Amino acid sequence: MELSYEWTSAFAQSFGLIYLMVLSVAIAVYAFWPSLGKRFDKAAKSILNDEDGPCR
Amino acid sequence: MIKRLTIAERQTAMLLSVLIALAGFAMAVIGRGDPMGVHGWIVLILAGALFFALASALYEPEPTEDRAVSYYDDPTKVGILLTLVWAVAGMGMGVWVAAQLAWPDLRFDAAWSSFGRIRPVHTSGVIFGFGGNALIATSFHIMQRTSRARMAGHISPWFVLLGFNLFCIIAATGYLMGVTQSKEYAEPEWYADIWLVIVWIVYFVLYIRTLARRNEPHIYVANWYYLAFILVVAVLHIVNNLAVPASFGAAKSYSAFSGVQDAMTQWWYGHNAVAFFLTAGFLGMLYYFLPKRAERPIYSYRLSILSFWGITFFYIWAGSHHLHYTAVPEWVQTLGMTFSVMLLVPSWASAGNALMTLNGAWHKVRDDATLRFMMVAAVFYGLSTFEGSFMAIRPVNSLSHYTDWTVGHVHAGAMGWVALITFGSIYALVPVLWRKQTMYSWKLVEWHFWLALGGTVVYVFAMWNSGITQGLMWRTYTESGTLAYSFTDTLVKMHPYYIARAIGGAMFFVGAVIGAFNVVMTIRSVGHQAQQLDYPTGSEANEPAVPAAE
Amino acid sequence: MFRTLLGPFARFFEFHAKTHYRAERHSMALAGGILLAASIGGFIEIAPLFTIDDTVEAAPDMRLYTPLEQAGRDIYIREGCYACHSQMIRTLQDDVDRYGPYSLAAESKYDHPMLWGSKRTGPDLARVGEKYSDDWQVRHLADPRALVPESVMPQYAFLLDTPLETESLPGRLAALRAVGVPYSDAQIANAASDAFGQAMPDSDRAGGVLDRYGEETNLRIFDGRRDRLTEMDALVAYLQILGGLTDLAARTQPARGEN
Repeated sequence: MELSYEWTSAFAQSFGLIYLMVLSVAIAVYAFWPSLGKRFDKAAKSILNDEDGPCR
Repeated sequence: MIKRLTIAERQTAMLLSVLIALAGFAMAVIGRGDPMGVHGWIVLILAGALFFALASALYEPEPTEDRAVSYYDDPTKVGILLTLVWAVAGMGMGVWVAAQLAWPDLRFDAAWSSFGRIRPVHTSGVIFGFGGNALIATSFHIMQRTSRARMAGHISPWFVLLGFNLFCIIAATGYLMGVTQSKEYAEPEWYADIWLVIVWIVYFVLYIRTLARRNEPHIYVANWYYLAFILVVAVLHIVNNLAVPASFGAAKSYSAFSGVQDAMTQWWYGHNAVAFFLTAGFLGMLYYFLPKRAERPIYSYRLSILSFWGITFFYIWAGSHHLHYTAVPEWVQTLGMTFSVMLLVPSWASAGNALMTLNGAWHKVRDDATLRFMMVAAVFYGLSTFEGSFMAIRPVNSLSHYTDWTVGHVHAGAMGWVALITFGSIYALVPVLWRKQTMYSWKLVEWHFWLALGGTVVYVFAMWNSGITQGLMWRTYTESGTLAYSFTDTLVKMHPYYIARAIGGAMFFVGAVIGAFNVVMTIRSVGHQAQQLDYPTGSEANEPAVPAAE
Repeated sequence: MFRTLLGPFARFFEFHAKTHYRAERHSMALAGGILLAASIGGFIEIAPLFTIDDTVEAAPDMRLYTPLEQAGRDIYIREGCYACHSQMIRTLQDDVDRYGPYSLAAESKYDHPMLWGSKRTGPDLARVGEKYSDDWQVRHLADPRALVPESVMPQYAFLLDTPLETESLPGRLAALRAVGVPYSDAQIANAASDAFGQAMPDSDRAGGVLDRYGEETNLRIFDGRRDRLTEMDALVAYLQILGGLTDLAARTQPARGEN
């Protein structure tokens, strides 16, 4: 297949928007996946007490 | 600092400094008669000085304590101090540059002091010198704390920090000698670019190795932002700086790209330098220091993940909004505009997340200038990302582009967001690092806060007025259909705004000087817990009310 | 010796293999994800522009920068002129009315790097060539406020006294050829001589410039000094060719008011 300007630019314009939508949905699903909630809460709180030195 | 390294580590560091000094010597010899030769001498002298500093402490006793039970904070401390040095230098340069536009004779007739040569000293000085050092130093702190692990290595953090500063010094001195690629925010020439790639690879390896040591199952989101900063900046830097040197004995090189392709590559770089240098890393800072200082977890961790990925893949498309109405194909401009507008979603998610975190802690914001720095930074982040999306819309851009509106927008982001979050983080970090209870003077923090906020507001309003005025004058027609104003007519109108801008910048600069002074005094102070007074005093400096017996 | 050199790396691999394998895998996956998400977009958007050659306006008459003009361009870059002057006339009516026909992609196809600029603290220069006389350009560069009292441009009088360095010109043209500018072997070999000849029309080196770069080339004493070749010669030669490498834009977009 010839990599012509018409083809690549049409690809960029169509795929660009599909890429935008698919990734947005995928990330939203990951971020709001119910079972991950606990892990996220723990991570958010973990930084509030981290000055004692490395865990041993 | 050197005493906390083992003898073997000191030797490795000496070996490295010899290698760098030799490279400098080679540059000095091959590039004699060219600015590259001067750079060679600079490298040789700096690496040589480091070598002798290491050599003179080589046989000092080795550290006796178990290093694994503590975090390694020495590079962070030095990084914070370098941040402040570059802040004062880069912002001072900015005031001079601004003053030259108001009073062009302040150039003083030297070749090196013209606007065109010192402007990149200002931009690189604040973006890379101030911003870059702040990012490196805070990332060293955060990667260890959030991983609850000591940094992986004792030489590599120094290599990253000092190597990066060597890059900054080569860049800044180069501009004064006229060494530039002319690519905005990527001006340094080929040898500096290659050196930065080496430094950056070491930085990435150090980061990943430290994360791999972590004692937390989850990688805290601040690290994601720092990782995105390191990785994407590497890609941008390598691609945009592809060039062929005219000679290996001289600084001059020619970009591998030309015309349309070069413009697109440059602004893909330029805009993502804003995204991944001036946004991603500083959001990492925000997501760590703001919850920490407010003593509340981030409002929504999920939102922070969402906005992280949003920023990572929306931003990369947005660069072409710098090229509206140019010879770049229209679909590229449209794509850039679309993604720029979409960017508002993750950007406001971040800003909102930060502000919602403070809900319930507003009394702290009122009383604590450090937290206020961070709060106002988040507000400015929200404002300037809104402004940015707005300016990326083609008809708006037709008015704003090439005018001071762009300059105002950049400074709303750079001063209001980047610098304020950095200073807030520094004020939060310095007492922790140097084991003090508070900063030397909270009043000076207040002074800095109000000067910085006032300076930013004056600057941004001056540039909005100037930019919109100029943009409108350019497009005003007389009734007979000819242009109403000559270019010089607009210059006359700009003059008062240029003076106001210089004043706003000067206020901001004075704030930074106060901040640097406050940090130095904090480090030198004995620490409040040690001040056991056995005499009555009314003064804050703890001087005895009655002088001791003579 | 070899073992000591590899020492630090051995530890690195060991630590890979042992306890922290899982943790390492997570952080590397994160790094990979970031790289992928960020580079796909950039690649897809920029790659088409590199296939553009067949659709970009053809400008068969377009000539190359002479060595003197290229040297001037390098001085323009060195002094940071691009920070205040754009070289890109947008397709907007007021841009066209003020500066001339809008810029075409073909016009900067030999510009490594492009100097489109991002800020107009001073006016656009894309078509400034031959708009003012050499003498005006020299006097304006030497003392801008003597001619335009409102100007905030720095003065560049020192260019008049700085001899132009021409020794490196063959190397520079060769580097430009390496990135795609079609300089011939003869043009590269005679670069230094041609730079001199272009600014010294009375000298015996002037003829070669016309042979190699065309009869239309400006042969003039740009800086008004017969005694030597200065950086001012080069910079003015460059400014005077801006917009003049091809007349494609003027041919395809007749200016308003004409015809």
